[in-house]
Amino acid sequence: MRHVEAKQDQVSQDQATSLSTRPRGRAGGLPGWIPGAFCAALLLGFALPATAKTDSVPDWVRTAAAETVPHYAPETNAVVLLDETTYTVAPDGQAVEHRRHVVKILRPQGRNEATIRVGFDKDTKILSMGVWSIGADGHEYAMKDKDMSDEGYDDGGIAFEDDRYRVAHAPAGDPGSVIAYEYEQRNRPFLTEKTWFFQGELPRLNTSFTLQLPPGYTYGTVWAHHEPAQAADLEGHGWRWEMKEVPGIDLQRVPLSPAPESLASRMTVHYAGPGLPASTDGTWKSVGQWYDALFRPRIVATPELTAKAQELTAGKSDFFEKTQAIAEFVQKQVRYVAIEVGIGGYQPHAAGDIFHNRYGDCKDKAALVATMLSTVGIHAAAVVVDSDRGVVNPDAPSIVSDHVITAIEVPKDYHSLRLHSVVTAQTGRQYLIFDPTWDQTPFGQLEHELQGSYGILVEGADSQLIQLPLLDPALNFIHRTAMFQLDADGVLKGTVTEKRFGDVSETRREVYAKGDAKEQTEFLDHSLENDFTAFTATGVKVENVDSLNQDFTLSYSLSAARYAKAMGPLLMVRTRVLGDLEPRTDRKPRTAPINLDETMQAVDDYTIEIPDGYSVDEVPDPVKIDVGFAEYQSAVQVEGNKLHYLRTYTVREVTLPADRYADVQKLAGTIAADEESSAVLKKK
Amino acid sequence: MNCTLRRTLASCLSFLCLVVLAPRARADQWTAPTPEELSMASQAQVPGAAAVYLFKEEVTDDKLHMWSKYVRLKVLTEAGKEFANVELKQYSSSEHGGYTVSDIAGRTIHPDGTIIPFTGKPFDKLIEKGQGFKEQAKVFTLPDVEVGSIIEYRYQLRYDDMYFIAPDWYVQSDLFTRKAHYVWRPTNKTLVTSDDQGGQLTSGIAWMPILPKDADFKQTRMPATGQDEGQLVMELNMHDVPAAPNEEYMPPIQSLTYRVLFYYTPYRSGEEFWKNEGKRWAKNREKFIGPGSQVKGAVAELVTAGDTPEQKLRKIYAAVMTLDNTSYDRARSAAEEKSQGLGEVKTTDDIWARKRGGDDQIAELFVAMARAAGLKAYVMAVTDRDHNLFLPAYNSLSQLDDDIAIVNIDGMDQFFDPGQRYCPYGQLAWKHTLVQGLREVDGGGTTFATTPPESYKDQRIDRIADLTLDEHGEATGSVTMKYQGAPALRWRQTFLRGDETSLKRDLQTSMERLMPTGMDVKVASIQQLQEYEQPLEVHFEVNGQIASSTGKRLLVPADIFEVNAKPTFPHEKRELPVYFDYTSSTLDAVRVHYPASMAVESAPATQQLPYQKTAMYTLQSETAQNAVTVRRSFLMGDIVFPKEEYPDLRAFYTKMETKDQEPVVLKIATQAASQ
Repeated sequence: MRHVEAKQDQVSQDQATSLSTRPRGRAGGLPGWIPGAFCAALLLGFALPATAKTDSVPDWVRTAAAETVPHYAPETNAVVLLDETTYTVAPDGQAVEHRRHVVKILRPQGRNEATIRVGFDKDTKILSMGVWSIGADGHEYAMKDKDMSDEGYDDGGIAFEDDRYRVAHAPAGDPGSVIAYEYEQRNRPFLTEKTWFFQGELPRLNTSFTLQLPPGYTYGTVWAHHEPAQAADLEGHGWRWEMKEVPGIDLQRVPLSPAPESLASRMTVHYAGPGLPASTDGTWKSVGQWYDALFRPRIVATPELTAKAQELTAGKSDFFEKTQAIAEFVQKQVRYVAIEVGIGGYQPHAAGDIFHNRYGDCKDKAALVATMLSTVGIHAAAVVVDSDRGVVNPDAPSIVSDHVITAIEVPKDYHSLRLHSVVTAQTGRQYLIFDPTWDQTPFGQLEHELQGSYGILVEGADSQLIQLPLLDPALNFIHRTAMFQLDADGVLKGTVTEKRFGDVSETRREVYAKGDAKEQTEFLDHSLENDFTAFTATGVKVENVDSLNQDFTLSYSLSAARYAKAMGPLLMVRTRVLGDLEPRTDRKPRTAPINLDETMQAVDDYTIEIPDGYSVDEVPDPVKIDVGFAEYQSAVQVEGNKLHYLRTYTVREVTLPADRYADVQKLAGTIAADEESSAVLKKK
Repeated sequence: MNCTLRRTLASCLSFLCLVVLAPRARADQWTAPTPEELSMASQAQVPGAAAVYLFKEEVTDDKLHMWSKYVRLKVLTEAGKEFANVELKQYSSSEHGGYTVSDIAGRTIHPDGTIIPFTGKPFDKLIEKGQGFKEQAKVFTLPDVEVGSIIEYRYQLRYDDMYFIAPDWYVQSDLFTRKAHYVWRPTNKTLVTSDDQGGQLTSGIAWMPILPKDADFKQTRMPATGQDEGQLVMELNMHDVPAAPNEEYMPPIQSLTYRVLFYYTPYRSGEEFWKNEGKRWAKNREKFIGPGSQVKGAVAELVTAGDTPEQKLRKIYAAVMTLDNTSYDRARSAAEEKSQGLGEVKTTDDIWARKRGGDDQIAELFVAMARAAGLKAYVMAVTDRDHNLFLPAYNSLSQLDDDIAIVNIDGMDQFFDPGQRYCPYGQLAWKHTLVQGLREVDGGGTTFATTPPESYKDQRIDRIADLTLDEHGEATGSVTMKYQGAPALRWRQTFLRGDETSLKRDLQTSMERLMPTGMDVKVASIQQLQEYEQPLEVHFEVNGQIASSTGKRLLVPADIFEVNAKPTFPHEKRELPVYFDYTSSTLDAVRVHYPASMAVESAPATQQLPYQKTAMYTLQSETAQNAVTVRRSFLMGDIVFPKEEYPDLRAFYTKMETKDQEPVVLKIATQAASQ
């Protein structure tokens, strides 16, 4: 982080031109971010020249439109010709963002670039906005205010939020046309950082960020996925960073791809000055302290809440059992409902209210866990994370994130085999990381989306960045066992037992806990249709649906007609009867890192009794491949009149560099071949 | 149909008084839960259901301009807690016709009887605010909801004075409903309908019920008082209403769930409605169609005096097919039209001049041009079969989605779909086949009509693969897909909505889904993309593993196009008839050249499988030197199968799909020879 003393003269409000990208929550918690180009939706606002109201476009739009567009891949929908942000902080700390954005539509799929949405709420009012377009035929259009509308966010996960969009549908949004907008917007008063997302889905020809600070202010920058760039000193008018020809990130058809946000370049400016409240200075500690000031006042116990905590922990002395009782209460008994107004996008509600209503979002749940634990003498802190691995970047301290979870401090000499998701902070204190919002992850573990990623431990002066643990594959497993009898007509009959633990049980626990009988039947049918063309499943039994710390167990009797294919005197029997483990890959050159999603282990153990009058002519060769990040092995044994198929698949890592793709392809090919392999039975 | 009341300022004021006073009388009326309701853990008819409505009530009182709604819901599973989040829409407009939500009250009752009242204030959530209108929602969530809770809430919807909306009672929802009660006390005033034709005076109310036999639907009239003829009361009581059905391959019956739809009407019968409204509709269309001078001039240039009627029509059809159909790309805004010196679109002349228009406008232009060529041509409005069915008993033109054309040639009516770009001459898009609608007839009137079906022979896909296999089971070769009818139209319109790059990508994805996992697929060429009278042909190059090895043998999928197919009907039970979008023919020919070192040990035996007289499946294989060829055909000649036929239909599909999975077994030739 580099700090520079602000030298320029005081910037008048008239000069202030700037914009703010409202960070927004995805899982309903702490708002994260949406880089402009990832969501043509977000952004915009600014003070417009008087000419904006005439039916012609400003010169800066014409200038941008005259840019020569380089040759792009035919699947490039549009190109950003200009993206210019000026961020101006007034002496009282109030910041205003001014943005200009010009995009050229290259193909029909780029038409949605003509729909402009600028996010705002009561704290981030749009001061002015203009929209223009130049048709492919060169005709110029200027939109009037009355042609724009305001729309609320339609986020299914959030019950209420005061965020809105100003929406404009620019005319002539066809290939070859140019769409431009400009706006000025107030920034959130309680933030002293601004992130410039200069890379998105679309390529950008020219993009810049200008910072204007009043005298006495200082700033520093941090960078993610990009080398720090030198700002041009505008000699009293701020500092300007420029980027040329930034490539787009399009991962829509890339298998095993990470979140685009985790790869996109960005710069965060932190600034401080006289009169500003708690500023962030570009360190993780300061970001944590900033959030601590919002979070801590909310974790105040009430008698009602305290009584419940004590009731839940009554008779328990073991740390794990006490914390589990409270954590699981919040995980299961507090409904996920997000109500966010203004700073409520960042700050939880008061713990007493959350408890009373029995609902809240992620930060509310984290606050309630911390509060209830505090009443039984256990300390817990918030951890600010992003639900997409890699978005919180160690190189770029900032509040860019979208979720809040809990870190429960583990007593110094306490040890338990049930504590899996444990980190040790630089202070030497150990924390159990738990997400009370994720309602299908067992206490003691962490959902796979967060494993291996980073989070901000919010611990006052001890706030810091921590890396969340990657859990043992054995804690996230599938174990299928089955005993079958095959008859000479090819009918396979038997019983199947499938045990799952960890996140790989999440979907099934959801279906069997929340779905009705019809949905459950259809779910099983659709699972089995991947492996059989004609089947019936009867006697379905499910155990431990709600007991996250026990194996989810599904058992049933299966009958599959014509499973074995009679081809003359032969019977072809696929030895891998059930289950699909092959990672999906393609044959294209790989540039993006590989996301294997989760560590896990799967074991399939099937026995098939062959029909009388047949002998085994051939069985598939054993398979074994170990590529380090994963291992797969399978073998078929002939044991008397039985075929015994056993395979084990273990995934040990979640993120790989692109140059490991050949290994992933090899692994996928090996698994695919094994899954289709058959034993050949022959009539004696 | 929305109605405005003609009345005096004095009567407005008297209504206002009633509106203000009325709500309070009901605010605290809650239903005490029964012990059974408190303790119930499931509903026998819907095992595992997330929640059930214990009671739903909707009372509409025109005199008060107010609707009162009351909901009692039992939460049965975790998923049912979601119903505690309530969003109630309200709307305001500078031109009247708005409605507001008020008097929201709610409470949660735990299984032990504990009552937790909702004491919060609902949030006003913006949905959209534009020039002269604002759409919002009152949002609230009921407190402390747990599995087993009963949640209750009630509220009132108040419509603007001078404005009446007849209620629509949609009784069937996503949840089972134990008891439902609906009441409407309609106004006895004469209203003026508000539509683009100018107002008509209403003479009464009408309704379209879709109800089970045991529904208690009645109308009563209260005793007359003075000059007042007595209040009419419409009332519906229902119990044990199942959730709206939802199945794969179900007919488009979203318009057929239990409901009663009311409307104020100037007509005394449905017949009168369709006769008069049909005339109005036809008059409107005629005004637009013309034909005007520009259309006449264009047709004069297109056709020659010596052309037969069909030749004329083909030329006209080809001409309108070249127009930019903005239903597939983008409608132009008024600003754009103005910038090009174009005014409002009033007639088909305007469409021809622009060389662009929406699908209905182009259909009407086709009718205009046919008429200009001296042919008898008519417009027909139809309901799209992809989502709905036309109900003549429902007196509403709103159920008619699209316009098609009928031209009488040599005394025979022929149907055309010029609004569907790339639809072949004389054919209809499948969603417009076998549907009812309203058509013009000579003399300015209309009548109901039904569109013809399309033959399965016209909806055809030919899939041809020519592959060369190596000893390891990897194949290289070409695949040709030939599409006709509905499948061709689908791909051509996909192209219209995107470009050739996106079409290639979509075609590639669709082929990758057909082929064995991991195969490399490239689109080599697309032929006759815009020659809509010809089959669309796509050539692919493919490469990858298709066979699995057992050591001594290779197992090769007999029909590579079916290798990833899933069972069409995996479920044993069925509640509704089976419905396919269109009849179809799929013809496959797969030739695999195998190495000289190998020989065919076994190939699928020929099988022919009929289903009644409506479907036929055939699979056969033949072996020549170093090549095996599998031919498969599947012809489906019907689109609807009653629920009672489901077991037989499922058995037919199962047999076919199982046969499809039989492999060709190749063995190392020396071993085969020695045996």
